[in-house]
Amino acid sequence: MFVHAIGFGIITAAVMALAAVGFTVQFGVTNILNLAYGDVMTASAFVAYVSHSAGLNPWWGLVLGGLFGAVFSVLLNRFLYTPFIRRGARLFTMIIVTIAVSLILQNSLQAIWGPDFVSANIAAGASVHVLGMIFTGSQLILIAIAAVALAALHGLLRYTRLGKAMRATASDPELARNCGVPTRRVIDAAWLLSGLLCGLAGVALVTELGSFDFTTGSAFLIPVIAAAVLGGVGQPYGAMLGALVIGIATELAGTYFNPVYKDVVAFGVLIVVLLLRPQGIFAEVASQKEVAA
Amino acid sequence: MSLAWSFYISTVLVYLGVDVMACWGLNLQYGYTGILNFSFIIYQSAGAYTAAVLTLGPNTAGSFQQYIGGANLPFPLPVIAGGIAGGLLSAVAGVITLRRLRSDYQAMVFLVISLIATAVVTSDVGLFNGPAGLSLIPQPMSTALNFSLVGYRWFYVGLTAVICLIVYAFLQRITSAPLGRSFRAVRDHEQGAAALGKNVTGLRMTSFVIGGVIAGISGAVLVEFISAWSPGGWLYQETFVLFTALIVGGTANNAGAALGALLVPVAFLEGSRFLPQFGPPGLIDALQWVAVGLMALIFVWFWPRGVLPERRRIIKLPGLPQAGTGRPRPVDYEKTAEIR
Repeated sequence: MFVHAIGFGIITAAVMALAAVGFTVQFGVTNILNLAYGDVMTASAFVAYVSHSAGLNPWWGLVLGGLFGAVFSVLLNRFLYTPFIRRGARLFTMIIVTIAVSLILQNSLQAIWGPDFVSANIAAGASVHVLGMIFTGSQLILIAIAAVALAALHGLLRYTRLGKAMRATASDPELARNCGVPTRRVIDAAWLLSGLLCGLAGVALVTELGSFDFTTGSAFLIPVIAAAVLGGVGQPYGAMLGALVIGIATELAGTYFNPVYKDVVAFGVLIVVLLLRPQGIFAEVASQKEVAA
Repeated sequence: MSLAWSFYISTVLVYLGVDVMACWGLNLQYGYTGILNFSFIIYQSAGAYTAAVLTLGPNTAGSFQQYIGGANLPFPLPVIAGGIAGGLLSAVAGVITLRRLRSDYQAMVFLVISLIATAVVTSDVGLFNGPAGLSLIPQPMSTALNFSLVGYRWFYVGLTAVICLIVYAFLQRITSAPLGRSFRAVRDHEQGAAALGKNVTGLRMTSFVIGGVIAGISGAVLVEFISAWSPGGWLYQETFVLFTALIVGGTANNAGAALGALLVPVAFLEGSRFLPQFGPPGLIDALQWVAVGLMALIFVWFWPRGVLPERRRIIKLPGLPQAGTGRPRPVDYEKTAEIR
């Protein structure tokens, strides 16, 4: 049972890592606590659902969902968040703005698709045994996709000019701008990347769950934030590790206690980390910054 | 006034009183002290559950609902206990959250606390009867007073109004006293307040716990009237409705908070009840939430200070000429301390 729980934990962690890395990249660069992130995940899942209903191959749904997440996030920032910040909205106000967007998005999805669960079934494929853990073919593909996406992101952040500019903007937007970094485009790129991972994670999540409704993404957001905070905000590698810890911890809790306590464990880890080590596992400092646009 | 209208209007008035109280509590925390408390609704709920179990009487085996700590206390003890419960839960949450965390993380943790509370109360049926919630809670003094059904409801409207007035007088006293000024100092400039010797964490805790007590009282007043309480009624979104009410009405202004409570949770959400029903079930609810979100965004964009903005407080320092003496001279801003 323990090994099985670890297996489930790895699948959950793969999906959570996609989402948490996307969340942390955006939060690290812009410092906007985007609580609508989970609802963009749900919206991307609905895009995949529509494409699947239209007869496209499910893996196309993953691509389309990812693209939708990327484009939607950039537009959300360009046409909503940035104007609000230009108008003088600060940290607190922006949190209220993102919650408002979250409610609007979530309930628009409910208005369009209704309150019922929809099925996101794809062919599960033959099951594969790995070290006593059982995975289906599609789960292995999901894990592989997560690994490839995160490795690509690692390459991008580590070895390209864009990655360097992004890290510079994350640590000090003013200084980066003064040094000639086009911070506005860098911030757009951060939202694009974050949205892409968000969309992929949304589709991966519902593929894994099998069925979903308009609250699925926002319910998943808290463990995602927990993973991001555990790893240190703005630290993609930390977020990956955080996702692994939270993913396995929640699945173990779900196996040995009431499944409802899965989320409570994630919340508990989040609060304990925030109290003991608010800067996360990796980060050196986490001083409070203003929002950047 | 027909009987049905009398029923409806008395119900709306009690809800109005409860929402006004809740907005005042949240206003003390957010408007005056700058605490982004996204778990406000759980302190209201703590008060409601406490008042409910203290009114229901001891839990008998084989009853259709189960709960802890049943008792049969006379009014107004359950309401007072509800306030205490709200305050105690606030104290616990405040100790966790307000001491060390940066303020955006505080908002996040409050949101998480709200979700945890809902998850725990929903799944632990022995606590407050799980997802079904508590029901058939006896109304205070309903047998002793011998009112008609409608008469009792109007009696309760009066009772709610009296409690509202007490809370209002108390809050006006606090917010115009030096304590209120310290709250605003903490909100506007934390380091500045600390440098002047204010105990920033202590002040935040004070404001947070007082707000929690008011939240608990508001929940207790509501549950004694509607006789039922379940987790579906206090999801984190409900806190957002109160925030929207504050933003619309005006933060750091008790009249503004009351106006917001009248406009958003009562006039807007109740008013849309009279629209013709259309679409599949759940559609109107969803559109209501969309509208609340849009309302918050529109007000933050156009009127971030609300309909009744906070009063600007300008304090003249000694040594400066009084207004109306001599010819007007340019204001020396260096010597004028403006305290918002």
